[in-house]
Amino acid sequence: MTQAIPTTGPAPASSDQPILSARSLKKTFKMGDSQVTVLKSVDLALKPGEFVAIEGRSGSGKSTLLHLLGALDTPDEGQIFYTGKDIAQYTAAERSHLRNTQFGFVFQFYHLLPELNVIENTLLGTMIEYSWFAFKAKKHDLRARAKELLTQLGLEHRLKHRPNQLSGGERQRVAIARALMNKPKVLFADEPTGNLDTETGRQIMAVLESLHRDSGQTILMVTHDRTIARAADRTLILRDGRLVAPGEH
Amino acid sequence: MSNRDSLLLYKLFLILKYLRKRRIAWVSLIAVTLCTAMVLIVISVMGGWLRMFRESFHAVAGDVIVRNHSLRGFPYYQEMINRIEKLPDVEAAAPIIKAYGLVNIINGASDGVQVIGLPIDKIAQINEFPKSLYRQYQQLIDEADDKTNGLTSDQRAKLRARAAEQAKHPSFDLPLKCEDYKEVLPKSTNDVCKYPGLIAGAGVLRIHKDQQGNIIGRGPQLYRYWIKLTVLPLEKGEKLSSTLPPAETFWVVDDSRTKVWQYDNNTVYVPFKNLQKDLDMMGTPSDPTDPARTSEIHVKIKPGANLITVRDEVQKTIDQVMADHDETVTMFPPEAETWEQVNSLWLGAIEKEKLLVTFLFGIISIVAIFLIFCIFYMIVMEKTKDIGILKAVGATSSGVAGIFLGYGLTIGIVGGLLGLGAGYGIVHNINYLHEQMGRLLHVQIWDPEVYAFDTIPNTMNTHEVIVIVSIAVIASVIGALVPAIRAARLNPVESLRWE
Repeated sequence: MTQAIPTTGPAPASSDQPILSARSLKKTFKMGDSQVTVLKSVDLALKPGEFVAIEGRSGSGKSTLLHLLGALDTPDEGQIFYTGKDIAQYTAAERSHLRNTQFGFVFQFYHLLPELNVIENTLLGTMIEYSWFAFKAKKHDLRARAKELLTQLGLEHRLKHRPNQLSGGERQRVAIARALMNKPKVLFADEPTGNLDTETGRQIMAVLESLHRDSGQTILMVTHDRTIARAADRTLILRDGRLVAPGEH
Repeated sequence: MSNRDSLLLYKLFLILKYLRKRRIAWVSLIAVTLCTAMVLIVISVMGGWLRMFRESFHAVAGDVIVRNHSLRGFPYYQEMINRIEKLPDVEAAAPIIKAYGLVNIINGASDGVQVIGLPIDKIAQINEFPKSLYRQYQQLIDEADDKTNGLTSDQRAKLRARAAEQAKHPSFDLPLKCEDYKEVLPKSTNDVCKYPGLIAGAGVLRIHKDQQGNIIGRGPQLYRYWIKLTVLPLEKGEKLSSTLPPAETFWVVDDSRTKVWQYDNNTVYVPFKNLQKDLDMMGTPSDPTDPARTSEIHVKIKPGANLITVRDEVQKTIDQVMADHDETVTMFPPEAETWEQVNSLWLGAIEKEKLLVTFLFGIISIVAIFLIFCIFYMIVMEKTKDIGILKAVGATSSGVAGIFLGYGLTIGIVGGLLGLGAGYGIVHNINYLHEQMGRLLHVQIWDPEVYAFDTIPNTMNTHEVIVIVSIAVIASVIGALVPAIRAARLNPVESLRWE
């Protein structure tokens, strides 16, 4: 599981221009009659090939920030730029396409479709991208890629299993395979080990580290666990709705 | 982004997956199937019944009927017929008298009936009345259709050909020898062999079918029955004649089953000339102010001719004849109507009944739409997290809505086709099923005597099938519409947090 996963498609690590950046992000939620501002003013720049961890306590707004950066949600104020373009200018369909082709998501609770088996879950993003005919034409290549990814992740013997027949670690590896299937430029990981035991969590982190180290995959991970965050090149702390460097107040 | 608006694989894939894995959707499928089958069966049976009624009503009438709504009738009919028959789209025309009278069958109780005077030699050119006669037609057909009598197919074909030939030449001729009639009425001082023939509606002679469709009451003595008929002539001014004619005696020569209740249970048919004489409608040949009269003229049009056009031409012709005789101002002018107009009261009632039953079953079918709505809403609620996942990995809102609409469409198509199959199977075997139901459960829904037809209509109308199955499909999509819109509007982040 710690072997290299060579088939991802990150941007070159040499570029100094951020692939993803955020400026003065603000997000407020309504909680009953009161309003809670989770993100007050978040600035961030993620360079290609970088592995950044955002650390914060439970409820600090880590997942909210990841959802905003991953175009799953929209900020109340501020801007998010992907390869220099403000994603607020994208239409809803373009944002969906962005999530489908440029971003990959790994969630704490895996979020696999229970009706689909391992290989079908892995191919889900690809099926969304391609039409019936285009998929049929590339079916062999796509299935081969899915199998290769799953083999790299140690799931070659689980291809026809459904999520409820897998362990937590196996489910998370399927989620990683699904996220990598469309060769994302940025991989978002939301507490990827949060629902796993220590040993399994360590294995999952080894996969992410391997992806970053061997393939130059750009990764943005949010976690509450400092030991997990250490795997990243750079760690930022989300505190009082702002991102700060460790030791900074 | 080139393929995003095209036929996306994941929609079809997930629709098929959900259809196979989510068994609750099968409940909607069964509901659509049952509703489609139910409406198809009702419409087919009611529609078939209406069609058979129309055929039966048409079979005892001309295509165009001239009448004046007076029991005294109207004059100059022969001149009208001569001119009508010269119209290019007319095949034949014949006078018919309709009146009321009292019948007394072999000195039993008297009964009121409708009396129809027919020019029997011409009636075969006008309508299908000869095929309603038992002795002169149906008996041969029954024999040809009887599978137990051991006849060869050639012999059966000959019987049918003979029946068809006889139907061209119906008659009031007496079926028995003169001696036989004398034997029936030995004390009569009249020449009983000269009594004219009478055809009675089967119900008048108490001939009827039991619940199994077997004929009851047509005994071997039927053609030895005599009937005394008293009719009520009207004078000028529509008053009952002061001198009632004596009852005329007839021999029963045949019985008729037209499948029209009003005719079969309440009508006797006699030669036109006899009824005209009895009703004092012969006129006085020497008196131009007292011409012979009839109450109706029935016109047969040529195949392919436009019924309405011919009706209008006939109307012009009779108006012309009346004008030629300075009869333009009369209280009851003869009017030309189509056979559908004449029977509109009865046909309209059945058409409305069909519409009402279809409407009621349509309302019941709305339950199916509601059921689909509820089930789909449940599925969307249950699948909220999956919708979030799909959106997270790139599915658009329209794509998500497409899954649920496609799901509804698939259920509509599959349910509609299964309903069509079930409906077809039931409608085509409805008489067998009815027979088995009667045998096993002693339940007899279709009474041949009540409905006038021996069998339940068992054909489907292609146009109605297409409309009903299409409605089933559309209704299923409508049922899935609101849940699909809800699914499309779900926020992916909230969906992912859904528990």
